[in-house]
Amino acid sequence: TFQHYFKRINLRRNDLRRSGLTMVTQLSNAEVQFIIDGVEQDFRSDGRAAEDYRQIELETRVLPNTNGSARCKLGKSEVLVGVKAEVVDVDVHAPHIGKLMITADLSAVASPKFVGKGSEALENDITNVLSFLYNSTETVPLKDLCIVKGESCWLLNIDVLFVQCGGNLFDVASIALKAALYSTTLPTVRVSGEGIEMEMEVSDDPYHVWKLDVSSCPICVTLHQIGSSFAVDLSEEEVACSEGYLHVGVMPDGEVSSMEKAGAGNIDPTTLLEMVEVGVRVGEEIHRQLNKQLDAERSLAKL
Amino acid sequence: MSSEILSPEGLRCDGRRPQEMRKLKSELGVSEGPDGSAIVEQGYTKVLVSVFGPHECVNRNLRDHEKAIIRCSYNLASFGSGVRKKKMVSDKKSTEVGVMIQNTFEAAVMLDKFPKSQIDIYVQVLQGDGGERCVAINATTLALINAGIPMKDYVCACAATVYQDSVLLDINHLEESSRGPLFMLAVMPRTESIVQLQLDHRLHNDHLDKVVKETIQGCRNIQVLLDRQVKEWTVEAAAAYDIKPRV
Repeated sequence: TFQHYFKRINLRRNDLRRSGLTMVTQLSNAEVQFIIDGVEQDFRSDGRAAEDYRQIELETRVLPNTNGSARCKLGKSEVLVGVKAEVVDVDVHAPHIGKLMITADLSAVASPKFVGKGSEALENDITNVLSFLYNSTETVPLKDLCIVKGESCWLLNIDVLFVQCGGNLFDVASIALKAALYSTTLPTVRVSGEGIEMEMEVSDDPYHVWKLDVSSCPICVTLHQIGSSFAVDLSEEEVACSEGYLHVGVMPDGEVSSMEKAGAGNIDPTTLLEMVEVGVRVGEEIHRQLNKQLDAERSLAKL
Repeated sequence: MSSEILSPEGLRCDGRRPQEMRKLKSELGVSEGPDGSAIVEQGYTKVLVSVFGPHECVNRNLRDHEKAIIRCSYNLASFGSGVRKKKMVSDKKSTEVGVMIQNTFEAAVMLDKFPKSQIDIYVQVLQGDGGERCVAINATTLALINAGIPMKDYVCACAATVYQDSVLLDINHLEESSRGPLFMLAVMPRTESIVQLQLDHRLHNDHLDKVVKETIQGCRNIQVLLDRQVKEWTVEAAAAYDIKPRV
């Protein structure tokens, strides 16, 4: 019944607020009903359909101290991603590949809630989701990051800084991450000699660089269950009405690289399959548009 | 190393003259969530500041019945400096800078207009290339103006060093890393009153007068640029309501 549903939503809203996923707490039952009806009728409060994303603004190479960077704005959420590379020793268990380390950072400028340790829970959440997304060696070609097998490799430190939070943080972070990796340039390393006499020379010529292959990098599409339906790219008000959500990692060719259900609330198995189907469809379209825009930006820079 | 700071022709490592400031770009109202926000970029140093408030005091024990309190937090992004810096929750240097900014604005903001309230200032350094504290203070001034919080005057900050008897204004990271003195000044330009002063390393007494005078001039230069930006923003914001303010 609706009363029962509202009671569940109201109890959940404080959890959502405390976790930082949404800042909205005061929604009347009528507003909740309006939002749920909107999603179920494929016509949301801002006029979007359930499968529509808000406008995405993207810019790469915005941070001069990094090897690659991107700034992405999705609705009211804005994120800055910086990729810094360093030469490190290889992992004993994987001596022929390089490493990736993704860290999320929620800046206090986005909300007073993120001062000090307040942001820890949500930061860990986002870090884990993004790391999980990129976990497979088939996403970023880690073999390319190996410098000397068994000795040295590149470690890409990827820092995701949230400057404004307005819903759908996981998706905007994954889009910015892919764009930052697309713009990443690494210096060429010349290896001479063998064994103890081996010497590595990292070139400091700014034109003697190579680019990462991001053709297998996934993005995350988050689908929330609202009422008896589901939607993508939720605003904060809509998140406050949702129960349970699903992160789907979508590759550019439409394959699903990872999946994770989060939040309190049950998802029906048939709904789950529908959600994944929609997630893949939306994800493929985002990849297409993203690649188109990134290529266009690169051709402007004439690199 | 020493020849890079100031060439025999009197040019610094980035081609500036000793009293030349870095290019200043600023923008007000960059974020939608906070009550006031601003970004200031001086050279390659870029700082984003958000202001929330005045609002009810979060911690009732800290409430002051006669005036508002200011809470400030300063953070450097992991990708901000040359070497990657891991994020630490209570970094001593960041806490110190936060307290410094708080003290600076306690002198400038008209706190007695908002008793029992709290004003939050959050500073995020996006890129650091020297003078982050100064750029943070300049950006905070703009963010407070954007939030509509009344202040006695602009607070402008500038850092300088002395090299071979010349005062170098608005120093970048390379000049900060040299072994010369680091002199930072935050000033309210109209009355020329000094709100904050910090000196690191050694400064000879003979240079003190010169450094203070030139740094105050540096702060005045910044005030002109900030004022211009505020007026531009006011005209733009008022145009949305079809008002043409006289600036």
